[in-house]
Amino acid sequence: MRESLWAEPIVETIHVLTLTLFLGFAVLLDMRLLGVAMKRRRMSEVLGQLNPWLFGGFAVMIVTGVLLFCADPIAFYSTTVFKVKMIMLVLAGLNVLIFNATVGRKIAEWDLSPTTPGGAKLAAVVSLVLWVFIISAGRWIAYALPPP
Amino acid sequence: MWLRSLLIAFCEWCNNSFWGHGIRNSTWLFPFVEIFHLLALGVLGGTILIVNLRLMGLRFKNEPVSELARDVRPWMLGSLAVMLLSGFLLFSTEAVKMYGNWAFRGKMLFLLAAVIYTFTVHRKVVMADQSRLAPAVRVVVAIISLLLWTGVGLGGRALGYVTTSVGSVSSLLP
Repeated sequence: MRESLWAEPIVETIHVLTLTLFLGFAVLLDMRLLGVAMKRRRMSEVLGQLNPWLFGGFAVMIVTGVLLFCADPIAFYSTTVFKVKMIMLVLAGLNVLIFNATVGRKIAEWDLSPTTPGGAKLAAVVSLVLWVFIISAGRWIAYALPPP
Repeated sequence: MWLRSLLIAFCEWCNNSFWGHGIRNSTWLFPFVEIFHLLALGVLGGTILIVNLRLMGLRFKNEPVSELARDVRPWMLGSLAVMLLSGFLLFSTEAVKMYGNWAFRGKMLFLLAAVIYTFTVHRKVVMADQSRLAPAVRVVVAIISLLLWTGVGLGGRALGYVTTSVGSVSSLLP
């Protein structure tokens, strides 16, 4: 990738524009979890409809992200903001696992209700805050990297 | 050529505005505004995508397009407003340079087309009674919307890589 003039901008463009799919759908999902959007829709339906595309978007983010990282791993690793971003990514993953193991398991109990349980709201807020900082950190990496 | 002089005058006004100066001369304001632009990109793109996926019959099949569109509409309008405002602020830091940037010009043309299309043809089809529309019409309307917005996004990515100026504008650069 380092040797091509076009590879890096193309991979970076895919990485950035996939935010529409990944971040956009994550925000919609979190808004339903908070009970502020798509209220009349069953929670399980919103999850079922958004998740496949959300995970698809996430996969594209990971693949393109790894490619960008591999172009210059030492430079990336030398910046603090990159390490912070990786830690926050792990936390966002844990948030999903904890949600699935707790409130998510009892989804049938609140599936139809426009108001969601406190646990669901907490998971949504944690998710939104983490993604705002992960994306900010991602943007910041470009400024923290030594100029080519 | 009145349009050209008008646009250049507008760009100079933006360049010399207090916010143009302020953001240009600050080390952290530009990235800060950029992050808002990026976050709103995610939300705007997400709402546009989900409505178009529904229009093509790929998601939320068992409910009316209009209902889904109405649900996400406040988020679409809100994020579009953040996009336009943050974009205008970023533009103001180097407005005259952007005037000569072909990718920026392309982006603005795509943006104009995408916004007009979204609030006319697209909106009409989304709000229409779907039983009266051929599936092919819905798919085409959705694809045009996706192409126009993708054009805006690609233009935005490209403008940072463009180093040459269009025409004689380079002589205006500071």
